[in-house]
Amino acid sequence: MREEKVKKKVREGYAQIASNSSSCCGSTAADETGKSIGYTEEELQSVPEGANLGLGCGNPVALASLKEGDIVVDLGSGAGFDCFLAAKRVGEKGKVIGVDMTSEMVDKARQNARKGEYTNVEFRLGEIEHLPVADNTADAIISNCVVNLVPNKKKVFEEAFRILKPGGRLMVSDIVLLRELSEALKKRAPPESCIRGAIMKDKYIETIKEAGFQDVKIIEKVPYSEDVLRDPDAKVVVFNPEKNAEELKSLSELDEKTKEIAIEAMTASMSISVSATKPATKSSEA
Amino acid sequence: MDILACPIDKYYPLELHVFEEKEEVTEGLILCPKCLRWYPIRDEIPEMLPDELRKENEDLPFLKKWKTKIPEKILNEGRPFNLKK
Repeated sequence: MREEKVKKKVREGYAQIASNSSSCCGSTAADETGKSIGYTEEELQSVPEGANLGLGCGNPVALASLKEGDIVVDLGSGAGFDCFLAAKRVGEKGKVIGVDMTSEMVDKARQNARKGEYTNVEFRLGEIEHLPVADNTADAIISNCVVNLVPNKKKVFEEAFRILKPGGRLMVSDIVLLRELSEALKKRAPPESCIRGAIMKDKYIETIKEAGFQDVKIIEKVPYSEDVLRDPDAKVVVFNPEKNAEELKSLSELDEKTKEIAIEAMTASMSISVSATKPATKSSEA
Repeated sequence: MDILACPIDKYYPLELHVFEEKEEVTEGLILCPKCLRWYPIRDEIPEMLPDELRKENEDLPFLKKWKTKIPEKILNEGRPFNLKK
């Protein structure tokens, strides 16, 4: 029951984001965030306006070394940013399938696909714990700062394992915890925030291994901005989600307790990119 | 369609029933012949959600709307919702 509530909160939160971010002028901050986590200027310019909502925490596409003709599935595709970048790489012979559980996001992604005239990208409304994809079909799975939002992470990785071809690659970027969060922080962070759903780094890696993956590697760690004022996790515990985060000019505006929590939010979590492989032999399938 | 599977029992291939088509299928229904779960395509989007995220108040009108084009079996035995109560 608690899981259902969290999922509902997440859906509502992201539906809000999908409808709020207009495609005309809201992208500057998203592009800034994009650059800071490793997207190139060229990549940011190449997708339809409004496709990058600045919600990611690393660029899995750059890491996924996608090949022409690959079938790629994006878990939690949002407005489609990573799907469109992936689509360019896999070319006309390849295919990119984005799955997202928020219908407003899928709508937006589809509009963006039309704007960008992509013919090799499809979006489906679905839950990443119940992927609507056949066994052994994907060459690569990408996911950018999404799994943290899902209460049952084990199920997500098991599903990813199932739909990958033997030898297929999982490339996820996500927020993980470096230490357990204080009760004070838990109270402040909304259920749909990344940090609230994040689990300990070791546990995260262990969960991927338990799903059957091999060669599980943390291949990149992107520290968020050193500046608490710009850190998305810090912002989320300091502000009401409705309040404009840009309003905060200096830490001294915060009371001691809030400042402490903001700093905890920033230092207790980090963004990682993980790569893993489904074994090429059929023996591990069950 | 070839790699689309039922999110519940993972069965594939699924059956596609097209109700309305422009460049793409705008309205239609995807059917799992194994468990008889049906998934709507609305505004070109295949909605492949598990039962607990389905909305009866949206899905029943959809079934009624396309009643004449939906196989009898689904109208009577389709999951998670059908017209036989």
